[in-house]
Amino acid sequence: MAEDKRSQPVMDKVWNFFTSLKLAISVLIIMAVASIFGTIVEQNQPIEKYRQFYSDATIRMLDALNLFDMYHAWWFLLLLVLFTVNLSCCTLDRLPRVLKVVRNPKTTLDDNLEKSLGLVGRWKKKGSLDAWADPYAAAMGKIVGKPVVTRDGETVHLYAERGVVSRFGVYVTHLSIIVIFIGAIVGNLFGFKGFVNIVEGQTIRQVATPSGTRSMDLDFAVRCNKFSLTFYTDEHGHQTQQPKEYASDLSVLENGREVLRKKIVVNDPLQYKGIWFYQSSYGQAGSASAQVAVLDAAGAPVTTLLLYAGQPVEIPGYGSVTGIDYQPNYQGLGPALLVSLEKPGQPPAQFWLLQNRPDFDRQRKDRYSFAFGGLSQAFYTGLQVAKDPGVNVVWVGCTLMVIGIIIAFFMSHQRLWIRMAPLADGRVEVVLAGSASKNRLAFEKRFEKIQEDLKAVGV
Amino acid sequence: MMNVRLFDLTTLLFGVASVNYVAALYGKKDTLARVGTWICIAAAIVSTAAIGVRWAESYKMGIGRIPVTNLYESLVFFAWSVNLFYLFVEWKYRNRAFGAFVMPIAFLTMLFAFTNESSIQPLVPALQSYWLHAHVITCFVGYAAFAVSAGVAVMYLLKARQEESKTVGGVVGFFPSSKILDDLVYKSIIWGFPFLTAGIITGAAWANYAWGTYWSWDPKETWSLIVWLVYAAFLHARITRGWHGKRAAILSIVGFLATIMCYLGVNLVLSGLHSYGGT
Repeated sequence: MAEDKRSQPVMDKVWNFFTSLKLAISVLIIMAVASIFGTIVEQNQPIEKYRQFYSDATIRMLDALNLFDMYHAWWFLLLLVLFTVNLSCCTLDRLPRVLKVVRNPKTTLDDNLEKSLGLVGRWKKKGSLDAWADPYAAAMGKIVGKPVVTRDGETVHLYAERGVVSRFGVYVTHLSIIVIFIGAIVGNLFGFKGFVNIVEGQTIRQVATPSGTRSMDLDFAVRCNKFSLTFYTDEHGHQTQQPKEYASDLSVLENGREVLRKKIVVNDPLQYKGIWFYQSSYGQAGSASAQVAVLDAAGAPVTTLLLYAGQPVEIPGYGSVTGIDYQPNYQGLGPALLVSLEKPGQPPAQFWLLQNRPDFDRQRKDRYSFAFGGLSQAFYTGLQVAKDPGVNVVWVGCTLMVIGIIIAFFMSHQRLWIRMAPLADGRVEVVLAGSASKNRLAFEKRFEKIQEDLKAVGV
Repeated sequence: MMNVRLFDLTTLLFGVASVNYVAALYGKKDTLARVGTWICIAAAIVSTAAIGVRWAESYKMGIGRIPVTNLYESLVFFAWSVNLFYLFVEWKYRNRAFGAFVMPIAFLTMLFAFTNESSIQPLVPALQSYWLHAHVITCFVGYAAFAVSAGVAVMYLLKARQEESKTVGGVVGFFPSSKILDDLVYKSIIWGFPFLTAGIITGAAWANYAWGTYWSWDPKETWSLIVWLVYAAFLHARITRGWHGKRAAILSIVGFLATIMCYLGVNLVLSGLHSYGGT
């Protein structure tokens, strides 16, 4: 660092740039600030929507800056690349040094080291060096860990450490970010996102891409057996308008044979061959139909009709029936269907059929009577479809990240040295020194305590 | 509902505790602050009971679920976390001056909660997941830690100014030394950061399970990332570049402002997938 900057080779300058913490902090802050824009400008909306909020000039400017799809813009990706390069360079730059320190710890306390350490204590003990070396080694073993003993002429050095792993927490965290990015890239390259609507009873073999422009073939088929929507009930047991569950009963078919069947709900998807299907939306497919049973004079069923609004259905040799209106609660009598019956040579007759009173229509005393069985509505289920082979890599990265952060913040590399040398007056001088990589305030207190304990050894 | 009455009582207790702590600073009466501590403990008991009662009441209504699913519930849960985290800090550092800066945060949060719809609503299908528990709890412990850090950062700035001008006494005289405050700003963040990280990760895992995408740059996700980046910058500046004192304190306050934006601003100002907390 002290050398003249002009004499630095270019590569060194580049390296210093990418390994500098200033860059790291700047990139973190720039990414934070840049990310704000994408939350203010709604992303990936149709142009008409932007026209409601912005003038044409503003739209042109925002578009030029890629702010409508900011998180995929080249400049944002460049920022992510810079972030990754910086992260990797910092790690490559510092990790070897840390490894060196960890592999070859300084096991003797010389004057230089002593001066560099903030926590130093010294005292004297009566007796010979040999008499004290072992008790101190044993005491240190109890406090921190078994010490390395170095005898250098008339001086004995003891060194012990713990929490070495804490030195690596930060690198585990950095690595985890790279792992997450790798997972994301794998997902982007080899996975896909799609969407499909399936009408009840129908089978699909293709899903659409989110933009809806392309479709993708699946190598199996999916059938929606049934979609159901349930609502919460209030304290009186009546149904409310608050949806409780959206559920699709799905079957996976291979060569026309069902190989898997599952009822999926929001938060409980179906997975087959690495492709996931998520309950996402629903809607009405086509118009509703009314079920009407045709009964003979004795009340025995003859046939069942499906009536669509306004479309007449012929009963051979009798007449044609048309569904006209439906009321969920007709005059307090429950669901009812208004039908029109047209017999050859007669004016059409309109009358109500009550779902709760199947025999109600027998009062017409005709050859046939009708019983309304209820309205049925076909639904389609909207499924989000995703395949992401990188997702497990992402979870590995996330786990590493949490582990790395915990190691980095809550563990500390604590080192303790003792140097013992005989004095001219026949006593032994003991010098204790310590350092901690983190949480120094707490270690200061601990050091005081250690010093008290060690002074008391043999007393 | 019983739980809402208990939360009202909690609000009152937080208010009284805040007044006590502030009055203790101004009147230099430690007794008041000591009473404040007991009120905080009482508030912790009452609010914990309230959460439990609300949980039980939701089961009685046939919609049983953890009470952290709308704005009212998340606000009271946030205040509950702040109070507990504060009591921990007070116990650990044996200093009650912090209370005047942290408890008002809990009190104001409860007042805000008070203005929101407090009835127990059934859970929409999107929220019916076990991830809800892990996600909300980790996020809120993180938020609470950041709130404490920012409160202490304000104290630090006042204390540092006094130490610079070499004056003594006054309210600020009762604060712990700037060294301790500075350390606490940092300590709170190293507690908050792993929880926020876990909160973001559980959120991503849940999103992946519900929608098939662990990250979709939705405003809530993005703001949580912004908060994460700000504190990551703080930690790097602090640990490796030795940023202490004023700059670190200001960064902590900026981080908490981003946290508030992430927690409330996104729901109240912006729109997106994560609109549940806003109603």
